[in-house]
Amino acid sequence: MEWLNPYHLQVASFVLINAILGVSIYVTLSTGQLSLGNAGFMSVGAYTAALLSTQHQVPIPVGILAGSLLAGAAGILVGIPSLRLSGVYLAIATLGFGEVLRAVLINWESLTGGAVGVPAIPQMGRVTLVWARDRGFSPESLGLQSNQFISLTVFLILLLGTILTVAFFLRLSRSRVGRAYAAIRLDESAAAAAGIPITYYKVLAFSQGALLSGFAGALFAHSTSFVSPGDFTYHRAVEILVFAVFGGSLHIFGPVFGAAFLTVVPEALRAISDYRYILYGILLVLMMVFRPQGVIDPALLGRFRRSGKGTPA
Amino acid sequence: MFLEQLINGITLGSIYAIVALGYTLVFGVLDIINMAHGEIFMFGAFVGMLIVSKAGAPLPVAFLGAIVVTAAMGLLLERFALRPLRTRPGASHLASLISTIGVSILLENVAHKIFGSGNHLFETPFAEISFTIGPVTVYLVQVVILLISLFLMVGLSLWLSRTRAGKALRAAAENLETAGLLGVDTNRMITATVVIASAMGGIAGVLVGMAFNYINNQIGLSMGLKGLAIIIFGGMGSVYGAMAGGLILGLSETFVVAYGSSGYRDAIAFVAIIVILLIKPQGLFGQAPAEARR
Amino acid sequence: MKRTVRLFAVVACALLAFVFMGAENANGEAIKAKIGVISIITGQGAAYGEAITNGIKLARDEVNAKGEVLIDLKVEDSSGKQEQALAAAQKLINSEKVVSIIGPTLSNEMFAAGPEANASGVPIMGTSTTAKGIPQIGKFVFRNALPESQAIPASVGQAVKKYNIRKVALLYGNDDAFTKSGFDTMKEVAEKLKLEIVTIQEFQKGQADYKAQLTKITSLKPDAVFCSALYNEGGVILAQARKMGLKVPFVGGNGFNSPKVIEIAKEAAEGLIVATPWFGEKNDPKVKEFVAKYEKAYGKKPDQFAAQAYDAFYIMTNALKAAGTADRAKLRDALAATKNFQGVLGKFSFDAERDVVMAPNVLIVKGGKFTIFN
Repeated sequence: MEWLNPYHLQVASFVLINAILGVSIYVTLSTGQLSLGNAGFMSVGAYTAALLSTQHQVPIPVGILAGSLLAGAAGILVGIPSLRLSGVYLAIATLGFGEVLRAVLINWESLTGGAVGVPAIPQMGRVTLVWARDRGFSPESLGLQSNQFISLTVFLILLLGTILTVAFFLRLSRSRVGRAYAAIRLDESAAAAAGIPITYYKVLAFSQGALLSGFAGALFAHSTSFVSPGDFTYHRAVEILVFAVFGGSLHIFGPVFGAAFLTVVPEALRAISDYRYILYGILLVLMMVFRPQGVIDPALLGRFRRSGKGTPA
Repeated sequence: MFLEQLINGITLGSIYAIVALGYTLVFGVLDIINMAHGEIFMFGAFVGMLIVSKAGAPLPVAFLGAIVVTAAMGLLLERFALRPLRTRPGASHLASLISTIGVSILLENVAHKIFGSGNHLFETPFAEISFTIGPVTVYLVQVVILLISLFLMVGLSLWLSRTRAGKALRAAAENLETAGLLGVDTNRMITATVVIASAMGGIAGVLVGMAFNYINNQIGLSMGLKGLAIIIFGGMGSVYGAMAGGLILGLSETFVVAYGSSGYRDAIAFVAIIVILLIKPQGLFGQAPAEARR
Repeated sequence: MKRTVRLFAVVACALLAFVFMGAENANGEAIKAKIGVISIITGQGAAYGEAITNGIKLARDEVNAKGEVLIDLKVEDSSGKQEQALAAAQKLINSEKVVSIIGPTLSNEMFAAGPEANASGVPIMGTSTTAKGIPQIGKFVFRNALPESQAIPASVGQAVKKYNIRKVALLYGNDDAFTKSGFDTMKEVAEKLKLEIVTIQEFQKGQADYKAQLTKITSLKPDAVFCSALYNEGGVILAQARKMGLKVPFVGGNGFNSPKVIEIAKEAAEGLIVATPWFGEKNDPKVKEFVAKYEKAYGKKPDQFAAQAYDAFYIMTNALKAAGTADRAKLRDALAATKNFQGVLGKFSFDAERDVVMAPNVLIVKGGKFTIFN
């Protein structure tokens, strides 16, 4: 399979991780809460998975599960006090949380290794290759070289994770929970008056977002095989925000599109990567002024659906 | 050492207070956080540096230059990133927040392109002059910073309470619509507010250059986040809150480094935010309860 | 008789010349190869990346001019981010199909890209990656960057002896892997030499104000300060320290090796002690020639990063010559066998674990320049 280029698979893998991150901020945003702390939750998932697998030889899937759940729990812990806050206050408080967490990661050296980070994290593809080889399987039998097999494995695992995530939250948006989220976003007092348990749903959304960020973080750790506090800065939180804001904050396909577009384009246009952040900044302002709901919104999707149905076969 | 650390803390704190005042003014009138304020402050510092170190002009010119440039930046910010959102129906507060985040990223990276990522020397002509009072050495620079900060704080308070323009601004802060009905030109008021706030950021930038002698393009980010911490701690929209909060933060940071672990210095600001949001969300001197603000 | 001897001599010379001309490879052609470079071209740390890329390009021009190997250089930007370094490595390995990679710049990036290169069987060599554990990533991972663990004992050891140091303060940037690992080594060495550590102070990148930390250090009256910082912060720390009356000797980590420290700190840099593989003022014709050529091409003097990158390129192409062909596995073996290479940094070999074997120079800043410290 000569055409299977691990480089393309690598970029695609990053797209998928970013898509999950985009959905994580989208979920919380769908209740009207802007959380800028998802880089922090991502680090919880990443470090948990990293430390469990390097220091305690925990198998990768268990580590990923543990990382996601721990991040989700952190989401509850942050979400409950944040109920008193809204809008700008919430955004800043969550940003503060992310920064405090990063300071802890840097200073708690005995646990996290400090700024040096955690190297040699078992990589999903390489581990799978070894596992398969031990059982007598060799990638050459499929016409693949080792590194193609490794990259393909990582990509497929991430693809599975992303599809499950999007499918789950798509279902959710059409369920009672999803409708409650939408009601809270539109008018919290009205929703409360209508008998919707605001506290429960807001915290739920918060922890779901946190869990997804942690999930993405754990996957990140097991794909790049190295994490350090520098991967989870304010810049990362802003990047995640841009996925959702640019891609579309009203429908789950929005952040997925945003992540895909904003991961592939800088990679394809490496020449302009010097100006990447300048363009992001301008993009954010332009989006807010001209199309605050993002590129993908329900109206656009509706038109696709209609044109798809209306065209003769 | 205690007295010297105290002076360090007060110097740092007064600069923080000025930055916080810029945030609080804008929040008071527009109900939004200008996330680009920190980067405007950083540009003020660089303009001052270019004037003093590269052009060799005297310090007052640096202040003037910084004020002019940052005021202009504030003008552009208001005109292109904020006003269009006010006129759109249904644009939420989050939209302005995100818009200013966009501007801040833009400014941070433009500065990186122009000035590079290294430290630049900010030469204050009288940097070496100091007085020794007993066991303590005080630098003239520190005294000047303190005086300028006090002058700004007192001047701002007086302006807000005594002058017509100041009262109009406070009226606009209370309730924009009503102020408009009562004859205040709200657009001009808003523009003026952002411009003044940005100019204060510019002044603070020059002060930072004087205090630390070196500036780089990252100072906007950290100062911006700390400024946020201060106004949340002190109370958004409260001038006294900004001043008190600034001093408290400056002193805390200095003393944590002096007597505790210096690794957590930057985290203090955020811990302070979190603590105050849990105990008294409207801040030390804050007015309306948090839930009423959206 | 004499005529026969002369004829014999001429034929022998001709034969020898013929043999040496064919030193390129069996066909007498130059070895053509693509070498990838991962460097920080944009973003934080671009100054290091620029120096490294410049050093490599200068070497490439020289090597290609000689004609024994013809290198097509493919440079990719990592922006200092490990995901981008990883993607760049993938691109170079799979799309550009390079025979080997020089870089990335940061240890963090190497930890992400190195395992991938290793798994793909592509030799990768770091010229500035000094963290612990880098060559141990795998048998395809090399480095010619003198690690702190070899440099610091040299500088500290000499300083302690010369200045009779007994009490020491440690100051370091705790949010950067490079400065943190430098600090770890400093602490280890201080403890081994049984010095009394009066305080350990930390700071973060981009800080402009170190008064609080320096005031604390001054009050405890150490005999010296060991400081692990990048030159941006290092220069400022020196300037502020001297300004507030802290006059004791400063021993700096790898980050202080740069002439930029002197640029930023000016007179305050006097007396700074560092251990470095690179000494630009060395009385060595190879060094002088390199400095002159570099200055002519780029308008400034080369620093440690440029020099290490320049030597790295030569090490790589020498190994390529020894391997005889642009084959990744053969190149790896040839690299591992590198012994006593004479570069602008001095004599160089790889040890059994593909790490650096080199003697550092201990330097002190005198009269605004780095000079040998003894």
